[in-house]
Amino acid sequence: MSAVTFALKAALRQRLDVSPLIPEALAPLGPDQIGAIPLQYGNRTLAVDELFDFEVGQGDPGVIFRGGSEKLDYVGRGMTQGEIRVEGPAGAYVGLQMKGGRLSVTGSVGLFCAAEMRRGAILVEGDAGDWLGGALPGNRKGMAGGSVVVRGCAGARVGDHMRRGVILIEGDAGEYLGSRMVAGTIAVKGRVGAHPGYAMKRGTLLLFSAPGSVPPTFNDCGLHTLGFLPLLLRSFVGLGSSAFGICQRVQRYAGDLAANGKGEILIVQ
Amino acid sequence: MLTKLAGGKVYDPAHGQDGVVRDIFIRDGRIVDGPGGDTPDKVYDLSGRIVMAGAIDMHTHIGGGKVTIARTLLPEDHRGDPAVREGLMRGGCGHAAPSTLTTGYRYAEMGYTAGFEPAVLPINARQAHMEMADVPLLDVGGYVMLGSDDFFLRLLSSGADQRLINDYVAWTIRSSQCIGVKVVNPGGISAFKFNQRKLDLDEDHTYYGVTPRQILQSLARAVHELGVPHPLHVHGCNLGVPGNVDTTLNTIAGIEGLPMHLTHVQFHSYGTEGDRKFSSGAARIAEAVNANKNITVDVGQILFGATVTASGDSMRQHANAGHANPAKWVCMDIECDAGCGVVPFKYRDQNFVNALQWCIGLEVFLMVEDPWRVFLTTDHPNGAPFTSYPHLIKLLMDRSFRNDMLATINPDAAALSNLGALDREYSLYEIAIMTRAGAARLLGLSDRGHLGAGAGADITVYSPQDDVEKMFEAPDYVFKDGELVVDHGTIVNVVWGNVHTIRPEYDRSIEGRLKDYFDRYLTMHVDNFPISDWELEGDGRSKILIHPCRTGGRS
Repeated sequence: MSAVTFALKAALRQRLDVSPLIPEALAPLGPDQIGAIPLQYGNRTLAVDELFDFEVGQGDPGVIFRGGSEKLDYVGRGMTQGEIRVEGPAGAYVGLQMKGGRLSVTGSVGLFCAAEMRRGAILVEGDAGDWLGGALPGNRKGMAGGSVVVRGCAGARVGDHMRRGVILIEGDAGEYLGSRMVAGTIAVKGRVGAHPGYAMKRGTLLLFSAPGSVPPTFNDCGLHTLGFLPLLLRSFVGLGSSAFGICQRVQRYAGDLAANGKGEILIVQ
Repeated sequence: MLTKLAGGKVYDPAHGQDGVVRDIFIRDGRIVDGPGGDTPDKVYDLSGRIVMAGAIDMHTHIGGGKVTIARTLLPEDHRGDPAVREGLMRGGCGHAAPSTLTTGYRYAEMGYTAGFEPAVLPINARQAHMEMADVPLLDVGGYVMLGSDDFFLRLLSSGADQRLINDYVAWTIRSSQCIGVKVVNPGGISAFKFNQRKLDLDEDHTYYGVTPRQILQSLARAVHELGVPHPLHVHGCNLGVPGNVDTTLNTIAGIEGLPMHLTHVQFHSYGTEGDRKFSSGAARIAEAVNANKNITVDVGQILFGATVTASGDSMRQHANAGHANPAKWVCMDIECDAGCGVVPFKYRDQNFVNALQWCIGLEVFLMVEDPWRVFLTTDHPNGAPFTSYPHLIKLLMDRSFRNDMLATINPDAAALSNLGALDREYSLYEIAIMTRAGAARLLGLSDRGHLGAGAGADITVYSPQDDVEKMFEAPDYVFKDGELVVDHGTIVNVVWGNVHTIRPEYDRSIEGRLKDYFDRYLTMHVDNFPISDWELEGDGRSKILIHPCRTGGRS
């Protein structure tokens, strides 16, 4: 059992796929074996010890990327247990198809963070790129469980094809929030871009500021006092976000009526 | 450059050689009778090894719009099967619909040196050729699709003279640089656009008032009278519909003795017996094929796993779209003149229907007696990707392996099939007929598929192994036009294949009529429609090989 700390020897010039560096894969390995793991770096394959200084410490199985990099892709891909911490920014596909454990990034992350995630928890202290909790292009299932907290802002298409789980964005969110969403919950404390809930079938978008316009395929269902909202919001604290406060009065819009129409946009009053 | 392949055991059915130990000499890419007094520059000692001509896949979807659509539709197929750049091979990807380069490498690694794209839409022919030109190491050719296009249906419904139809068919073959003619769901692709959801052999097209039977007869006659070596390549009516065995038998009877090739016949051999109204019609199909010497078939075997079905038959693909797995599909019109349907599919061995399809295909293989008239295909990628051919060959050559597999599939399907009772095992000689000599003869490729003097030196060398699947997966050597391209599983030289075509003669007066039609209805000028030779050869890679048409065919 060990926690492995990686620090880049030099700034990355190409994108680096670090998907092999997940806790359960490293736990049984010694330093020599870890150093020999091949990583895809641009169009070349390099060993871990060519790219990273690393040390194997004591403690629970875990991985720490010291410094991070915007070109560090696939951090925690498919991880099932343990903890990964990136001290700095990370690239695209952070927590792709993650199935358990905890993953945190102190900086910002790129595209497709938490895409097709199944279980576990992701915390992004900075901003997240497009397709947060979405599905890879062509796939039909986005995030299907677990929780994601973004302290900063998120890009477009958050929760595209999302099926289950919770995404909490403490800053703003881009266009097409919850597009093609099948189920699940997305809460945004800041502003949202155009076309929220585009083609959503079911699921909940909880917005704390009114969008520029609610799409015409959403039906205004009036003002409601929802008893479950304080419970839901309190649960967010347990997921690692206390920015949302407590409220229960919302304007409810049902839609997208162009795609089944069982979803809802709740706008906190 | 003279190369000697010394002492291999040669399987060359075109010359009746069944395991004859002999030397083969290659001079400048062609096989020659002897060294002519010269000392070979290079000698390969092949004693104890098996030598065959390069294999020919006579029905494989490797180019054209639908392959591109399949690739676009299934990015997960590419993500899930990356082919990393290695040695001389450039990077690629794809299991069911691999990228062009990867297609060429994988075929070559299995000892295949030619593949024919069976569904070249005339209007898309240029793109299909461009795509096939990007497949390395493989000779290519196409069958041009007719039978649901407006110009032809107008001719037929107006009772035009057969000679006019012949001229149109010949003009289309030449313009599209193809080697044969295919008809897909005759008239059905067009009828679909007139809101017909099925079209039986003797059912009228609601607009043109012609039946698939008339379409088949007219096209088969045209192909025959033009002297096109490859018989009309027929993807019949009612693909995949239980009970279509009767349609297929009627199709065979209805062609009235003209040569006809029934493709992926497995999908057209379904009966309606049993509790689930789905049964094997393979015995009746095989009986009809055995009795009618004008008929050839390729099987379109399914093998279990994930793949994608890509077809011009938008009518049947639309009907099957509900089975799409993953749940997404494309059915589209092509320039108001043809169709296309792409439906991803997973064949599962515990699924009754899939398991019975598997049995039916193998039954056809084993019950059609003449290996010269049945061809080894999976209708790549519709039944399975072409990379599964070695596995399929093992199923045909090894009865106990076949029965072991039969014991693992859906038991109800296995019980309904007589596969277990069929004890035929294909010999290496018969496999060589199916995949080499027979295919070359069927297509009229006089210089391929055999190892006699004058043949293009496309040669595959295997080490005999107990497990024939392993043997056919990884030949020791593959030569393409005399160049060693694969050496024990490694691509050692990347060469580019030839384009096989024919040039049937026709009366040029049809061109005036076509010009009027193009100007009025189609999206391009008629002069831009034919593909010129320089478009195929201009980059210096592909070379056009023109095969002669039969003489005396024209009435």
